[in-house]
Amino acid sequence: MNQTPPVLSLSNVSRQLSGRAIISDLDLSLDRGEVLGLLGINGAGKSTTLRMISGMLAPSSGSVKLAGLDLYEHPERARRDIGYLPEEPPLYGELNVEEYLRFCARLHGIPRTAINAAVETAIERCELGEMRRRLTSLLSKGFRQRVGLAQAIVHEPALIVLDEPASGLDPIQALRLRELIRALADDHAVVLSTHVLSDVLACCDRVAILHQGRLRHSAVMSELDASSALHVHIERDVDKEAWMRMPMVASAQVIDTRRWRIELSRDASAGDLARAINEAGFGLLELRADNNALQDIFVQIAGETATVKAAA
Amino acid sequence: MSAIRLLAGNDIKRQFAQPFAWILLGLICALLAWQFLIALDAYLRIAPKLGAVANSQGATDLIAIPLLRSLSGLLILIVPLATMQSLAGERRAHTLPLLLAAGIGNLRIVLGKFLGAFMLVALIVLLAVCMPLMLEFGTTLDLGRLVATTLGLLLFGASLTAIGIACSAWTAHPALAAAAALIIGSLLVMLDMGARFQGIDNALINWLSMSTHLEPFFFGLVSSVDIVYFLLVTLLALLLAARRLDSLRTRG
Repeated sequence: MNQTPPVLSLSNVSRQLSGRAIISDLDLSLDRGEVLGLLGINGAGKSTTLRMISGMLAPSSGSVKLAGLDLYEHPERARRDIGYLPEEPPLYGELNVEEYLRFCARLHGIPRTAINAAVETAIERCELGEMRRRLTSLLSKGFRQRVGLAQAIVHEPALIVLDEPASGLDPIQALRLRELIRALADDHAVVLSTHVLSDVLACCDRVAILHQGRLRHSAVMSELDASSALHVHIERDVDKEAWMRMPMVASAQVIDTRRWRIELSRDASAGDLARAINEAGFGLLELRADNNALQDIFVQIAGETATVKAAA
Repeated sequence: MSAIRLLAGNDIKRQFAQPFAWILLGLICALLAWQFLIALDAYLRIAPKLGAVANSQGATDLIAIPLLRSLSGLLILIVPLATMQSLAGERRAHTLPLLLAAGIGNLRIVLGKFLGAFMLVALIVLLAVCMPLMLEFGTTLDLGRLVATTLGLLLFGASLTAIGIACSAWTAHPALAAAAALIIGSLLVMLDMGARFQGIDNALINWLSMSTHLEPFFFGLVSSVDIVYFLLVTLLALLLAARRLDSLRTRG
């Protein structure tokens, strides 16, 4: 069977800097239409991973493949197929937004005849119309980030690599950026790094948690959502035993006496639980999916170092 | 080639979008014009007496060549200023990732940067040459010698530019890059000064010195050895700069 290779695949990628292992044995793959979130605390190796994916930094061992071809044997592939937004947007302050995007379009090998259309599309997608004649050095942080994103998509690459794209943005700007990233995922594969859980929850299809340079957890967001617990708010004070008597409850964790985190047993649904709560007369006020599953995993992984240090 | 032209064009555009390049050009032109006018004034004073002397020196010897020789000294100071921002500035402004991740290759990045900086240096040389060239309206110049001197200055400027680019690739601090380029350029020019004081003028140390290879151009002598020397220095410096970019990719 002729299977299309993934847009991006990393196999056994390791990277040492100054004799120290920054990334060890990393395996990842990504297809068009997916948004992969690289989650990790500061220093986990996210930026180094993205620099390797973008073709900026060579791995010490292992391979980074773009549509099945090794990126370091075919570096010219990066020119058309990768759009990279580093942590600090790479803007030339002496150029205005339009001049800068024209330069980026040509840098990425877009033919002269197609440059106007490509720049217009990028300006439109990143909502930069009113800023097109403004020098990039005079832009606010939010607009600088948008221009950085525009340069990463101006050549319509197969893979878009974003390093902490929402860093330093206000909540509204961060929201707009997430919407834009979700929209980009329709036509591209997107990998982004962040240490903000809400970024991953809002716009990623898959998450990979990096810690101390190793891939510690990888999950599909929809599966995480399905396996996540329920947050229940009731009128009465009840104890754990009362919950455990319900057949659909696998575990119950108290938040306060009227708020509980309930894990359902296999095959049980939220509707079953709602009916049981009403029958027991707990007075159901709120029942919603508890999005803390990812947070629990992340905190558990990230907290290991602190625990080890405290024990030492 | 298109990527090299693109990078060079972008650098030139950015240089002239800032006051630095204009101020530098303005100051150099003012300084050279002042020297030119003083030399012209002195020449006009002694010109009637020169007519009586057989085989006396003309405007080329007394105005044009001293002016351009003085420019060669200035280039040692100016070129590091023109190249210091080249790659060090990109690293400092966090724009180097844009070029490194664009898949255009380290050597092409370096060549684009070199071409961008050299255009400014070449413009300075050509503006300086224009001053004595104006004398052609009133007297007869040795144009062959002027062309040879211009070629020599352009080759000398290219070598200094390449050294500046290499220094700019090795550090993220533009001031440090300028200082290193100034020191290396000065060393290469003065390398055989001690040897010449000792009367040694045909040894390896003389051959290694830039001044040994620049001097013949001022006398209108264009030798392939001198051209090859400047091209070799330029090439070696550019390869070192590309090597540095390569190590940024492999060693981080």
